[in-house]
Amino acid sequence: KKMASKISVGLRPVKSIVVRFCPFESNVESTRKFLGCINHKKIQATNRNCEVTADVRHDGSEPLVDVMFADGERLIMKGANLTTIEMLTALGSRCSAKELKEEQKSKKKSL
Amino acid sequence: APAAKMAALSGGALWRRGWLPALQFVRRGSKAVTRHWKAMHFQRQKLMAVTEYLAPRPAIPPRCLAPRRERAEEDNGYARLLRRQVEEVFRDNRMIAICQYNSMPGEDVVLMRHYLRKHNIEVKFVLNEIVRPVLSQSKYKNLLPLFVARNILLVSPETKVKEMLRVLKGVPQINLLGACIDNTILSRQGVENFAKLPSLEATQGQTVGALALLPSQTSSLLQRGSAHLTALLDQHIRQLQAGETGTPAEPTPAQSSGSH
Repeated sequence: KKMASKISVGLRPVKSIVVRFCPFESNVESTRKFLGCINHKKIQATNRNCEVTADVRHDGSEPLVDVMFADGERLIMKGANLTTIEMLTALGSRCSAKELKEEQKSKKKSL
Repeated sequence: APAAKMAALSGGALWRRGWLPALQFVRRGSKAVTRHWKAMHFQRQKLMAVTEYLAPRPAIPPRCLAPRRERAEEDNGYARLLRRQVEEVFRDNRMIAICQYNSMPGEDVVLMRHYLRKHNIEVKFVLNEIVRPVLSQSKYKNLLPLFVARNILLVSPETKVKEMLRVLKGVPQINLLGACIDNTILSRQGVENFAKLPSLEATQGQTVGALALLPSQTSSLLQRGSAHLTALLDQHIRQLQAGETGTPAEPTPAQSSGSH
């Protein structure tokens, strides 16, 4: 069982992350921990241009993580029934897939 | 010959003859204490096997009995001290703001503490497991769901919300979740609205002015009828005087004063 802080995510293909939650609700724990992990030094160091914004509301809406990628793709994770580790691994797998694609593209261009 | 002696005689007879056992048992040159593992003497092996430790078994196996609830409280003095400190904080300060703390570089923490100290706002790092029992017993039950993940408390005896918001805007890694100002629980929106309010003295002045507006009009309202009559009579007198000096008095002012 992995610790949430040990999962490393390379944020280079990510443009911005918006984390929206309502702290007076009871299902926001995993989203808040996700926000805390995303703001860790190591993950922030992989991409300094990625803006992480936290949107704190009080309208009873469910917790949401909105990720905008550099190639225009959007990933929306509804954190009400997800654990932190699941969200981090989902984001990490997508980021690594995109980085692989970019590397292949750059290799083809250089060839 | 010594081996033959061992085999023939018992141990006691050998000792009586003054026979030293030192090197005479050993034939192949390895001493008692060796660097490799040396097999024990067979008698010793038997002794060790017989005297092995047997754990005592309880009469009734533990899984047949009811499970014992291990209370993990222990209630050590440090936790009690921290809880007392949290209670003091909630009692002494007018404004308590709860923010989510995502890891920040150390210098930023120190800078932020410095700026907030200038406005007499103190930064306190709290542990959830200590704050939760304190809150559940006090009247702040609605603040309970806020204390998940890492939090810090900004406490102050004054309510300088505008300055606090300005400092927090400059620090992106701290997110304001909610606040308890003067025993009123506010969300983030509430805090922003509170910051936009004018100061207490200005609001008090406004209320007093609004309340005093109506009574100030009462006296003029009551006197309006008689004041109107007085004004009309004055006008009538002036017209009469003007009429005496100029044209003869007209019957219309008398009619208008009579209709009132």
